Amino acid sequence: MHKYVIKRILFLIPTIIGVTLIIYFVMNLTPGDPGRAILGTGVPQEAIDAYNHNLGYDLPFFQKFLNYLYNMFINHDFGISYVTKQSVFAEIWPRYMVTLKLAFIGVVISALLGIPLGIYSAVKQYSLMDTIPSLVSFFLAAVPTFVLGLVLLYFFSLKLNWLPSYGLESWKGYIMPALAISIPTAAQNFRFTKSSMLEAIRQDYVRTARAKGAPESAVIWKHVLKNALLPVITQIGMSLGMLLCGAVVAEQLFSVQGIGSLIVERITFKDEPIIIAGTILISICFTVVMLIVDIIYAFIDPRIRAKYTKARG
Amino acid sequence: MKKNMKKLLALVLVLAMALTVFAGCGGGDSGSGSGGTADDSTLRIRLRTALQSADWQQCAVFESSQIIWVQVFEGLYGMDEAHGGYYNLLAKNIDVSEDGLTYTVDLVDATFQNGDPLTAEDVAYSYGVAMENPRFDYVTSMINNVKAVDDKTVVITLDYPYSAISHTFWTIKVYSKREYEEAKANGVEFGTVPHTAGTGPYIITEYDVSAGLKLKAYENYWKGAPDIKNVEYRLITEDSAAVIAYENGELDYLTNVPLSDWDNIKKAAGDNCELIKNNDVLFVGINWASPTNNNILGNQKVREAIFYAVNKANIIKAATSDYGTPAYEYMPSEYVATSPKVSDGKFKTFDYDKDACHQALLDAGYTEDEIKAGIDVGTILTYGTETSEKGKAAVVLQACLAENGMKAQVELGESAPITARMYDQDYDIAIYYDSGNYDYNNIRQQLHSESKGMYIIRYKADNSPFNWQRMEELITMGVSTADEKERYDIYTELWNMTMETATILPLYHSALGVAWSDRIDIGDVNPSFYHITDFSWTE
Repeated sequence: MHKYVIKRILFLIPTIIGVTLIIYFVMNLTPGDPGRAILGTGVPQEAIDAYNHNLGYDLPFFQKFLNYLYNMFINHDFGISYVTKQSVFAEIWPRYMVTLKLAFIGVVISALLGIPLGIYSAVKQYSLMDTIPSLVSFFLAAVPTFVLGLVLLYFFSLKLNWLPSYGLESWKGYIMPALAISIPTAAQNFRFTKSSMLEAIRQDYVRTARAKGAPESAVIWKHVLKNALLPVITQIGMSLGMLLCGAVVAEQLFSVQGIGSLIVERITFKDEPIIIAGTILISICFTVVMLIVDIIYAFIDPRIRAKYTKARG
Repeated sequence: MKKNMKKLLALVLVLAMALTVFAGCGGGDSGSGSGGTADDSTLRIRLRTALQSADWQQCAVFESSQIIWVQVFEGLYGMDEAHGGYYNLLAKNIDVSEDGLTYTVDLVDATFQNGDPLTAEDVAYSYGVAMENPRFDYVTSMINNVKAVDDKTVVITLDYPYSAISHTFWTIKVYSKREYEEAKANGVEFGTVPHTAGTGPYIITEYDVSAGLKLKAYENYWKGAPDIKNVEYRLITEDSAAVIAYENGELDYLTNVPLSDWDNIKKAAGDNCELIKNNDVLFVGINWASPTNNNILGNQKVREAIFYAVNKANIIKAATSDYGTPAYEYMPSEYVATSPKVSDGKFKTFDYDKDACHQALLDAGYTEDEIKAGIDVGTILTYGTETSEKGKAAVVLQACLAENGMKAQVELGESAPITARMYDQDYDIAIYYDSGNYDYNNIRQQLHSESKGMYIIRYKADNSPFNWQRMEELITMGVSTADEKERYDIYTELWNMTMETATILPLYHSALGVAWSDRIDIGDVNPSFYHITDFSWTE
């Protein structure tokens, strides 16, 4: 098991290099340059070239790429933003923390809402408590975050005046953005949990457990849920990963200064250091989340655990 | 169990209904909200894009300039947007030599926010720094030398007479040399942290690229301490969220209100809002040298046909929710005295005219069948999204052309690469903004081959069908005289020549919507730069 974890962690290195290479390549393909974007319209080409030269932007592709890797891995330096002249890490880190906090709150809320309801709905299939949540989840999963966010803003901020319409300065500020990102995810979790539960409920081992006279609660908790949770955990991991990429729409709408909105903002200026570092950070976090999901999988699923035990034996 | 569930469900439904009723009854009056976390003595203003720097030279986004250029720093001149023209600011008095080459500037008794007195050395130093920055070539390239003669006198020498120098005096702001140098010596990039190097009425107390910034009144401001003591700029990137924040009373001042929301703002703001004509102009430019469709745009008659096909009313309706104003002039003549007035009837204009368009296409040599099938005039290029003003204008322009026997594609993209393509003449038809300036000489950037600005249409070329030599001569003449009447006549001839080329067509002036809370009075509404010193509390 340890070997597996270490292997996965080491796999992060080629992932980061690969991601960096792809971003560098894509950025290289896009037209425009930081000199033109930053200096603006009233500037001759020679001045723009000189500006780009000072930034090291005119270096050959691979030289630029290797310099970046060297600075990142050896000097732990992500560079200086072309736009604000501030340290990239100093700009990105606080914004990533905001995204991280919001993503975790969103995932927790979505899991707390979606999973229990999904379980209950599956257990009480065809009852009112199945039909209503199913219909609601169908609707909520289809509502874009932007629309949901505006509805929340309209009711809770404009009409009720309970919550601030922007910023995260107090705990109240987190409520609407967290709801906006967690409600559609909760709806997805609900549907996933329900279908997964229904699939597990119909398995032979469940029928056997019932035939042996096991109480219904024990059948659900011990036999059905353990098996049904596996794909749900993957789904939660994926949602967390996606939210860590920055819930850009929610960030924009509620003026949350997260990583997603930062990257979108800087793309306009071709602020490569920020875009690249931000994307690398996102890819690291995504990989780490997936790694944790895999480890949890191994702990929950006795089949996977057995495989590793056997391999060791 | 089933009974319990039904009870629970009923409870949930009742709560949902109660919430809806509450929401429906809730008040949404402007100015009645909790106002975020700022206290009552803080003016709250929306910041649409992050402030990139607290250094006036590094403000690449206009909104940043609105703060740093006006509230924090000052130049020798101020700009009177509401009535046009410039006024003395840090310059108490300016004497111009007879040959128009030497400007002797007496400075006012001002102090920097760090307490240092303003000296001629600070002015000379600031101009020196700006002259080394290529971004400011457009306003400094005519300056030969800036020298401090004594503590309060600066002499600015030009290479050639330049009557548009007022715009330079407004654009270049004055640093505290000591503080700027100290930052450099300490290895700190000036503008990345709060500073006190300006003479302006507000001091930056907190600056966070991600969140916004806070200002406090400079109590020793040389023109008197401002009435509003604390200002908080909050970063709200999304327009609809900003409108809700304003309606909710969380913002005191909202400029550049999205025009699509103007009706809602009007309802919420009552008398506390104003819509004025913007001083920017949206233009259509045609690249006469484009190789598209066998250089079809090189044909004067085709270009005229395109311009006759432009239905400005429809474009304004789509792009500005009908709040824009049709444009015929390079600059709004009510803001710029030397700007030729359309009412004088001394320059050519193009109005939507289906018959004239059709005739122009026939004159260009196209048959009725070809016109019916649609003549390919290339691609309309602009920056922004489909929902942006320029994007909408491009789509309507495409429809106008289609209605009048011409076909065009629309290509949209990010500002930086698209403008680069425009400057490289890699386009057929372009839609772009210009102006936002108060001296007619600004037209040089569009028409002069040595322009360091937006020379989008290349008039000077070996095979140029235009009298570009005369156009450039007129530009030089216009800037070498300070006589307003003379300049007006020169620019009238120049603008008429430009319109005759059928390469540039002013489309419209957009509208600028401003709304404020009932806590403040804001004085005159300006098209671009607002002054917090003009604001006051009503309570």
